[in-house]
Amino acid sequence: MALKVFSIPALPRVNNGAARMLPVATTLFAALISVLPVQIPGYAALTPVFTLMAAYHWTIYRPDLLPPLALFAIGLTEDLLAGSPIGVNALLLLLTRSAVLGYRRYFVNRTFPFVWTGFTLLTVAAMFGLWVLHCLLDLSLLDFRNTVIRGALTIAIFPLASFLLGRAQRAVMGAG
Amino acid sequence: MILLSPQMRTAVQRTLLPILVLLSAAIVVLGKADQLLFDSVRTAVSDTAAPVLDTLSRPLTAAGNVIDRVQMIITTYQENARLEAENQRLLQWQQTALNLAADNQRLRGLLKAVPDAAVSFVTARVIANSGGAFVRMILINAGTEDHIARGQAAVTGEGLVGRLTEVGDRAARVLLITDLNSRIPVTVESSHVNAVLAGDNSERPRLLYLPAPDGVKVGDRIVTSGEGGVFPPGLPVGVVGSLDAAGPRVEPYVELSQIGYVLVVDYGLSRSLPQPPQVMARSRTDASPPARTMR
Repeated sequence: MALKVFSIPALPRVNNGAARMLPVATTLFAALISVLPVQIPGYAALTPVFTLMAAYHWTIYRPDLLPPLALFAIGLTEDLLAGSPIGVNALLLLLTRSAVLGYRRYFVNRTFPFVWTGFTLLTVAAMFGLWVLHCLLDLSLLDFRNTVIRGALTIAIFPLASFLLGRAQRAVMGAG
Repeated sequence: MILLSPQMRTAVQRTLLPILVLLSAAIVVLGKADQLLFDSVRTAVSDTAAPVLDTLSRPLTAAGNVIDRVQMIITTYQENARLEAENQRLLQWQQTALNLAADNQRLRGLLKAVPDAAVSFVTARVIANSGGAFVRMILINAGTEDHIARGQAAVTGEGLVGRLTEVGDRAARVLLITDLNSRIPVTVESSHVNAVLAGDNSERPRLLYLPAPDGVKVGDRIVTSGEGGVFPPGLPVGVVGSLDAAGPRVEPYVELSQIGYVLVVDYGLSRSLPQPPQVMARSRTDASPPARTMR
């Protein structure tokens, strides 16, 4: 069963070093752009979860090239840079992988709205999970509104992120 | 791992995933239990990423400047009229201030008052902020190399931004006054009532521990009280924006979500803040003359 998840559908071999680095590099880049100071009022609190988009995309299309260890390292880096409680993003990205991996065969080769719906469900769960976790960590009931808007922004921006990641994937790895 | 067959690699990754999930959860709990445990790692990562973030944030700062400039051009006419009116008013204030300064100097001479300590400051650019709904922090491109130290105040021309909580060699982290963990001793300027400005991750922090809730009204200026010895008294923070059921909320003078640059000011008071050992070892102990550096 474990091997089947990866082999359906079979992932084409990628020997090019740069192409093999693409998923890790783009996910790390997503972590970096999520901490950049964009000077739009109120943006910082509502920054979309870029790493979630990258982790979802690559777990569906190339789970072999974005291993758990890379997700763990990138998640920790994001936590350390953002100053958020350490481990939270690592946990989020790893749970994303474990949640998506089991269903990836339903997503590969499907139309975009289907993939987007999957991402919407994931984001709703992730945002709620993050909110609960932060409430527990701070031992207080935190404002839920920012989390809702942040989730909505993340879902709204996903088509663009998915398009860019798909283009990069085709350009560097060829079709597949 | 490169030498393993694809099947083996898959199997390793399958077992690795739950282990790493548990490890992350353990790190979350450990990080919460001992806040200082990962501080040195955090500082090291911030320091390492600082040059990259510095480069990546440059176009954003530039874009922010362009937007500011365009806004300025659009509003030039009204702005000019407003400034001329303000200038008239300020000229009157200048006379008042000069009289008061002369008075003040004479009275200080009579009292033999100790002059305020000289302050030094460093200008730093914001290279990262905490994306997300749960933390309000910024990362600036100055560190111990620029003689800044933990506990110093970050300000802009408008007022207080926050406090340095973590200082590396090249980068430092500022806890904004709006963060959930920020507590600043303040005073209501008109009534001299002391309170604590407590962030709650919203844009407008609350005033806590007011002795009498009706001692404050909308529009009152809030400045630091200097209690606790971390900030000097009289640093402008904001104005009371509303009176909620939960207490008054303060509108900060500084538009915190749009800061491009901050001044890190050393009032010579930061040493009164308890320092964790690894930061103390690196912090400056000599009293150097007022320095002004532009990054």
